[in-house]
Amino acid sequence: MKKNLSVWLDNKQHLAFTIIIPAVILLIAFAYYPAFQSLRFSFLKYNIKQLSRVRFYGLKNYINVINDPVFLFSVVRVLYFMVIATSAVLLIALAISMVLNQKFPGRSILRAVIIIPWAIPPVVNGQLWKWIFNGDYGALNGLLFQLGIIKHYQFWLKQPFIALNFAVFLFVWRYTPFIAILFLGVLQSIPEQLYEAARVDGAGAVMRFYHITLASLRKIGGIAVILTLIASFSVFDGIYALTGFDEATKTPMIYNYEVTFDMGRFGKGSAMAYLVGLFLMLLTFVYIRMSFKKESE
Amino acid sequence: MRRSLSSGIFLTVMIFLILFWSAAPPLWIAISSISTRTELYSRPPHWIPRHPTLDAYKNVLIKGEGFRGGGGVSASRLFRKGILNSIIISVITTALVMFFAPLLGYAFSRLQFKGHDIFFYLIIGIIALPGWPVLIGLFSEFSALKLLDTKTGLILLSFTFRLPFETWFMKGYFEAIPSEVEDAARIDGCTYIEALFRVSLQMVMPGLIAVSIISFLSTWNMFAAPLVLTYTLKSKPLTVTMTEFIGQYFVNWDLMSAATIIAIIPPVVIVIFFQKYIIRGLSAGAIK
Repeated sequence: MKKNLSVWLDNKQHLAFTIIIPAVILLIAFAYYPAFQSLRFSFLKYNIKQLSRVRFYGLKNYINVINDPVFLFSVVRVLYFMVIATSAVLLIALAISMVLNQKFPGRSILRAVIIIPWAIPPVVNGQLWKWIFNGDYGALNGLLFQLGIIKHYQFWLKQPFIALNFAVFLFVWRYTPFIAILFLGVLQSIPEQLYEAARVDGAGAVMRFYHITLASLRKIGGIAVILTLIASFSVFDGIYALTGFDEATKTPMIYNYEVTFDMGRFGKGSAMAYLVGLFLMLLTFVYIRMSFKKESE
Repeated sequence: MRRSLSSGIFLTVMIFLILFWSAAPPLWIAISSISTRTELYSRPPHWIPRHPTLDAYKNVLIKGEGFRGGGGVSASRLFRKGILNSIIISVITTALVMFFAPLLGYAFSRLQFKGHDIFFYLIIGIIALPGWPVLIGLFSEFSALKLLDTKTGLILLSFTFRLPFETWFMKGYFEAIPSEVEDAARIDGCTYIEALFRVSLQMVMPGLIAVSIISFLSTWNMFAAPLVLTYTLKSKPLTVTMTEFIGQYFVNWDLMSAATIIAIIPPVVIVIFFQKYIIRGLSAGAIK
């Protein structure tokens, strides 16, 4: 019997199916099927606090979401968030990767240290910064006060526009290491002779930076932009810990959670999840296309 | 290559700026965690504590007093149950990944079979699947399957969402190593499975370590899914129980800081020891 099984398994088709079928069952059960379920919910009037009143609702959920001012403001907010966050992440990551590409003692220690913000759980990251931004005893207040920049302690997170920018900062702090590592990988593959040759040909530092460093980062830069746009759009954990459901930092992800799981409106929540998800999927397809293109070159 | 003095100074300044940017915030939390309450709540802050104490750690780990959030549950109970759940969920998920990753990579790179491309895109397709639609559907599916508020549910979920990355990454890794050694093992009478475990596994080991570490980190850091899918200490991971340290009106920042430090120890240790693997995994994961 055991012998028969191992003979049966020693066939490419049989072996491949034995390996893949469990994975595919999990995928369908816990990814594709639930996604289909919520698509169904999005056409229902469905509040889990009023289960007896579930009924077909057509496209009303979608229409309600599009006409919901809170949702519309959250979209404007997240667009601002994405633009600022993506520019900041790319610039800081470029600087960090260029420094790490130099030779100096302790380089591998610094490389480990810069990954730490990325490795900390995002929600813990939110709480860490909430303490630093604290209005009564926070380190930020203390530092600015001792430097003479502010005269009185500020309740930063109570001021809407500042709170939003601090949420952006939180994301930038966490995500920059990841992009810096991607950049560093490319920079390290540039042969040093290229810089030497350019120097011999009389190219100055600016020219070398522009024509060698930036030029070689062009492709990965495109991928980094898309990845950062997706990630900054999807932020949830950090904002949840930093400011919760505060109006000032309410992005579609936060609002989607609030509507669905705090208010129990599964119908409207699902419709919102699909509208937002469609936008995300669009970005993801661009990303997948870009990275495949890179692979085939 | 020799550097001029000015560019040497510039580099040094930049190195210290980057060090400050990355390490100062966690360092401040570490300092907060060993400060007495009087020092913690002082203006301006005491940057270096005059009377360092481990009281906050004792409270978080053992005694659990001085806490008013979380619906009457003590801080140490929240913390200990949370950390235990996190360890169980992350370790089992990682073990599953370690077992399935080489098999999936092998199947998609070495075996020709019917439906190869369809199955591959079915797996990779989850990357494009946005989070909330899945999570909303999962909530009702989990409650029907009695998986709501169980560690099993979270493990199945986190493992499922690691599948595309491990498949993609390991497939690439297998393709990068030559198949001649496996072919030789076949001629010597090995079955495919024996060839995989005796020969190829050693060659893809660095890739497997990278995949496992990234899976562990992402499971340890997971928050939104357990927030939705668990509601008691039976299954809440540390990331979720820690948010309950913040009561509605009052936060004990010393306990919070000690908890934060303990929560970030596993990821930080992993980063320090497995830096190279993480870098390899991250770069390959993003580009391919």
